[in-house]
Amino acid sequence: MGLLSGLGLTSPSPEEKRASEVRSGAVAPTRAERQRCWDARDAFYACLDANGIVDAIKEDKKVASVCKSENARFESDCAAQWVTYFKKWRVQDIQKKAKLKELEAQGANKMEVHTDFTPRS
Amino acid sequence: MSQSLATARVALNALARTAPRPCARSLSTARGGLPKRPAAPPLSQACRPRPLVQARGFKTVEEAKSRYRSGPFSWKAGILFVLTGCGLVWYFENEKKRMQRKRVAESTKGVGKPKVGGPFELMDQNGNKVTEQDLKGRYSLVYFGFTHCPDICPDELDKMARMFDLVEAQRRGALTPVFVTCDPARDGPQELKDYLVEFHPKFLGLTGTYEQIKAMCKAYRVYFSTPSHVKPGQDYLVDHSIYFYLMDPEGDFVEALGRQHSPEQGAKIILDHMKDWRGKWRTAN
Repeated sequence: MGLLSGLGLTSPSPEEKRASEVRSGAVAPTRAERQRCWDARDAFYACLDANGIVDAIKEDKKVASVCKSENARFESDCAAQWVTYFKKWRVQDIQKKAKLKELEAQGANKMEVHTDFTPRS
Repeated sequence: MSQSLATARVALNALARTAPRPCARSLSTARGGLPKRPAAPPLSQACRPRPLVQARGFKTVEEAKSRYRSGPFSWKAGILFVLTGCGLVWYFENEKKRMQRKRVAESTKGVGKPKVGGPFELMDQNGNKVTEQDLKGRYSLVYFGFTHCPDICPDELDKMARMFDLVEAQRRGALTPVFVTCDPARDGPQELKDYLVEFHPKFLGLTGTYEQIKAMCKAYRVYFSTPSHVKPGQDYLVDHSIYFYLMDPEGDFVEALGRQHSPEQGAKIILDHMKDWRGKWRTAN
């Protein structure tokens, strides 16, 4: 069935059609679909953590060998744009955390951030 | 020697003359000052010392003595003192907080201040026209996002739903939760409807043409960027600001709530501003 639909010989089931629309970004995912994507993402991140991979885009060969199934699930449950976004986000997040740790070690003070325009005394 | 004795006597005499004689003085002022005043008390009465016990109204000598020992302090006076102190502290703290909120709310009004918000014309998720006039008479909480948003917007919209429910529980019909899409090319009324109903049925979703949305984002000082050269059917993400804009019932910007606020904190900030509002509220639902 998977092979046949992949070759375009049979029409895909409604679920499969919906999933492919989500992947291509033709429709916005529902809450349940978002949750499924986030779960797949977290499993993928966990695999990267376990294997010491930071940038899944640069180290795609290593990902393909050690996190193959997690990557496949991630790509099947999330929109393609989201996959790229989350892979890039991970790199930035790790860098940000490392930078904060470094600054903290240097004795930097955490700044309180306000969101209004009022001058404070 | 005799000279110095004489000077000492003179000094003593002078002292005796200047020593206060209250009764005599009060008599003289009564006589000289206002002759028409009806009853200047006669000297003998005014100067007679009143017995202490009688004056304070004590029943027994023991009572008077114990009162004399404790002085003006008693447990009643103590409680009164503490209560007054607490009351004053509470009042000033309250007033201080109110003034701070007022300053936040008014920091965006007047000359030379950033003007956030303004007139707009957009379409809601049911296809009805919505302008800034429709939001007047209630506070509104405005959030910008898009339905294909991967992580932050859904989180923030869940937060907005919690905040809205918390505010609704205290002040029904005082707040309109508004979601404005930054991606009008893909988010039409139907898409917004399907998307928002999963967060809260009361959310007002707004969309429009690219120009209308661009003008709206500019008025709210919202940064957003749709990637250029997007082919039809191609997927993309929109980069945008992620603040909640709290607007007062006249459509003036009050305060921005951000990621750092929990729903409870956000709801409290909104409710506190509502408490301060002295203008008109919309009565009809």
